[in-house]
Amino acid sequence: MATITSEPVASPRPLALRDAVARWLDREAVFSWLMMALPLLFLFALVGYPFVYGIWLSLENRPVAQAGTFVGLGNFIEDARDPVFWQVARNTFVYTGVATVLKMVGGLALALVINQNFRMKNFVRAALLLPFIVPTVLSTVAWMWMLDPAFSVVNWMLVHMGIATRGPSWLGNPALAMASIIMINTWRGLPFYGITLLAGLQTIPQDLHEAAAIDGAGSWTRFWHITLPLLKPVILIVTVFSVIFTFADFQLVYVLTHGGPANATQLFATYAFDIAMSGGQLGRGASVALAMLPILGLLIIGLTTYMRSHE
Amino acid sequence: MIERRGWRWRALRLWLPLGFFLVTGLAPFYWMAVTSLKPNAELYNTHIMPLIVYHPTLKHYVDLLTETSFLTWTWNTTVVAVASTAISLVLGIMLAYPLARMRFAGAGLIAATVAATYLVPQPFLFIPLADIINSLGLSNTLTSLILTYPTMLIPFCAWLLIGYFKTVPRELEEAARIDGASRFQTMTRVVLPLCIPGFISAGIFAFTLSQNEFLYALIFLTKTDVRTVPVGAIAELIRGDVFYWGQLMAAALLGSLPVALIYSFFVEHYVAGLTAGSVKA
Amino acid sequence: MVLSGGASSTSRRQVLKAAAAATAASIIGAPRSRAATKSLTLIHESSFIKTFDAYFQNTLAPAYEKLTGVKVSYELASVGSLQTRVTTIAETGSGADLTLNFFNWPFLYDEKYLDVSDIAESVGTQQGGWYEPAKEACVVNGKWKAIPFGNVGQLMNWRMDWFNEVGFDKFPDTWDELLEAGTKLKAKGHPFGFELGHGFGDNHGWLYPLLWSYGGHEVEPDGKTIVLDSDETARAVDFARKFFQQTMLEDVLGWTDVNNNKAWLSEQISCTNNAESILWVAKRDFPDIAKVTGQAQNPQGPKGRFHTLNSWSHSIFTHTPDHEAAKAFLRWLCDKQQLGAWYAAADTYYQPFLHGYDQAPMWNVEPRNLPFRDALATAHLPGWPAPVSRAQSEVIAKYVVIDMFAKACAGAPTKEVIANAVAQLKQIYSQT
Repeated sequence: MATITSEPVASPRPLALRDAVARWLDREAVFSWLMMALPLLFLFALVGYPFVYGIWLSLENRPVAQAGTFVGLGNFIEDARDPVFWQVARNTFVYTGVATVLKMVGGLALALVINQNFRMKNFVRAALLLPFIVPTVLSTVAWMWMLDPAFSVVNWMLVHMGIATRGPSWLGNPALAMASIIMINTWRGLPFYGITLLAGLQTIPQDLHEAAAIDGAGSWTRFWHITLPLLKPVILIVTVFSVIFTFADFQLVYVLTHGGPANATQLFATYAFDIAMSGGQLGRGASVALAMLPILGLLIIGLTTYMRSHE
Repeated sequence: MIERRGWRWRALRLWLPLGFFLVTGLAPFYWMAVTSLKPNAELYNTHIMPLIVYHPTLKHYVDLLTETSFLTWTWNTTVVAVASTAISLVLGIMLAYPLARMRFAGAGLIAATVAATYLVPQPFLFIPLADIINSLGLSNTLTSLILTYPTMLIPFCAWLLIGYFKTVPRELEEAARIDGASRFQTMTRVVLPLCIPGFISAGIFAFTLSQNEFLYALIFLTKTDVRTVPVGAIAELIRGDVFYWGQLMAAALLGSLPVALIYSFFVEHYVAGLTAGSVKA
Repeated sequence: MVLSGGASSTSRRQVLKAAAAATAASIIGAPRSRAATKSLTLIHESSFIKTFDAYFQNTLAPAYEKLTGVKVSYELASVGSLQTRVTTIAETGSGADLTLNFFNWPFLYDEKYLDVSDIAESVGTQQGGWYEPAKEACVVNGKWKAIPFGNVGQLMNWRMDWFNEVGFDKFPDTWDELLEAGTKLKAKGHPFGFELGHGFGDNHGWLYPLLWSYGGHEVEPDGKTIVLDSDETARAVDFARKFFQQTMLEDVLGWTDVNNNKAWLSEQISCTNNAESILWVAKRDFPDIAKVTGQAQNPQGPKGRFHTLNSWSHSIFTHTPDHEAAKAFLRWLCDKQQLGAWYAAADTYYQPFLHGYDQAPMWNVEPRNLPFRDALATAHLPGWPAPVSRAQSEVIAKYVVIDMFAKACAGAPTKEVIANAVAQLKQIYSQT
């Protein structure tokens, strides 16, 4: 008699084994860890290991092309005694803080504007992304020319309107130089904020707005009490990423002023680079770069706490 | 949308602010275009109105394309960007999917670790990474970048994709599993296809960051024919203290306009991708 | 046909044999007379003068290969990235056999460079002797770790026509005279433009000579005693401030190396400190400006006239597999025939460190470049008179001296800027 069953008759053991393996692989934990194995390995190898190596470097006196000698916290103590280090710290904080606020406010405004319906919407949105797309070093070179008092359109106009004889020295005056790099960073990063916040705006259901309007709420009230609270998570996430990027910014300053005038625009990244590459002191350079981490670390803790509390 | 009064209202809320953003955002590009078309004599003339080109010339573009390795750099940049993006997406998916849809011990810790890797700034890693790349014999190869760029791209892609994966309803997954699909099959046949906009979104972001990267390219690549556009332009178009401004600006435009054009096709997906992804994170 | 006098059938056969061999060689490749490594790599920085690089690639390298069978690759690192490249090679022990050096790199990478004293001595003897300053950067602990090649001088560029208008037919001889000229020129709308920002060359080119010409030094020749805090330094700083305020515009405080070139070619400034690049570009693109551009040595101060040494030299890495082959190549490269032609291919942009070239014909091509040659004798490395050291590199990387002057010019009191600079020097020198 032919048995029509679903039970496998031939070679039961291999199939059972395969079945068992398949079931094991299907367990949540196993599946998850197998999936994550490769990326985690990758990150450990190319971020984790260099990170630990970098910390070790910062604890050594390590001149280039010579063996290093362990000095413990020696580099950090020297950094603390270096007046330029503190100026660099101040610069980086001011740069990051002001630029982030400008990008946040400006990005929000931009998002609100382009959230509306109009012709060529997509084209305009892509065009507005251009400052973010163009390679930073090249746009910075363009800005170098635009900020030269002799060639700047702004100065040209000021002169021709009779307001100034030559116009401000955008990159020679220390305060203006810092303002300039903040301005360029804002110009470059605002589109990213804008587009991401736009996405956030589009998830807010229209009925919420309509209901509130029917109840008599004006557009400002609606914005403040409906839009903004719902956008908070997005704003926070984008801000964290933006702060990380801006804090560690290198290209802009390297090309535009290289830290001048007299360290008015020197940031952690460019200072660390100079010390390591030009000065030939790899350990000291690593220690300056490492100084960035505690602040950034505090940020991530803040973010994770916020996320946990809102789950 | 509740329609209000006529064009004045619209002008105030739309056209004026939009105009403001467009002008401030794109004015530098106008400047780049103008500079790339000006002959040197006109460029250095401080007396004429800077915004007008009196005798446009294509010389800078021609020089850029024939006398420098610009096309090679563009090719290199594209290769690196595409490869890095692909790697980052794949690894990002592998990382994000379990974190988004699976429950297992240690999930929180992994999520925090991945976020932490994002914190480690490039300027800190470049010295140790240079050492590693050199010992692997990969300096002056595009592989060095293809390996190192994902370190800064994976965390963001993963974060974005986690948000996106979370939006796929559990019912779909459960239905598939009832039908006998393994977790892997569920992932590849049910969930992932629904998340294509998210991939586009993450891919665009990753691509942009890759082609913009400077520090690692500066450190790892010192030979002309291996360079990417940012480093090549700075290295070859700036000799000592002489800047070839016209060519630099031509490079800036040629390097960004095609990408922007592609974006205009994808930007709808980009926004849609971010919509579902970022908000729910 | 009859071969030249004294020909016999034997010599004809020899000629034919040689011809046959040469033809075979061009098809098969040069016969290997010796075994071992037959390729060398020399790293250089992309030269501002393209013909200079081209000469090596198209003439020198093939000539050496023909002579010895050794293939020489000429690898170019982009401007500004050579130090990164050399650091990498030194650290990993692979990637090139010979390299170009700037400044005091022979000291930085001392342990990874071969002792080339024998080559240096023979080249010096054959070609008229080395300029003393050349040894500053290349002799480490009594041994030559690099062969000096040339100086990229930083000298004064001046608008001859505008200077004439305010009564100066020759370039002013002293800093005070230059101040006078500048004040008058600024009033006429032709200010000076000297870099005070974070560039690499045009700031060092005048600030260190200014300091030295007033008698100011950072560190004593013993390499340890910091003597920056002195009356001489204060006088130099005060002069710089006056010089800036009376002759220049605020912008120069943020200038990097490119700005003065740009300003010159757009006719905004009448005097600056630069290498030969301004005149060179002017002749090519702005002939009218080139006609009125002059070059002159730095002015002198109470304690003399000085220039900044921008020493280019060549070294051999210790990790190169065949020391003898590398040394043989370097010896050949520095031989009069090769070296002289290579110098000439660069339009005197690299001023030779050998007295044998003081009267070379290339100097007559552009008489305005002569001051670059004359400046060699008074050129010194930043950090002079202290001997070369790692601390020096860190001082330069941190712009200690540059910022001291820049801050003073921006308005800070002299005492304060000197005190700050001394504090930084103390911190840096206490490490080594």
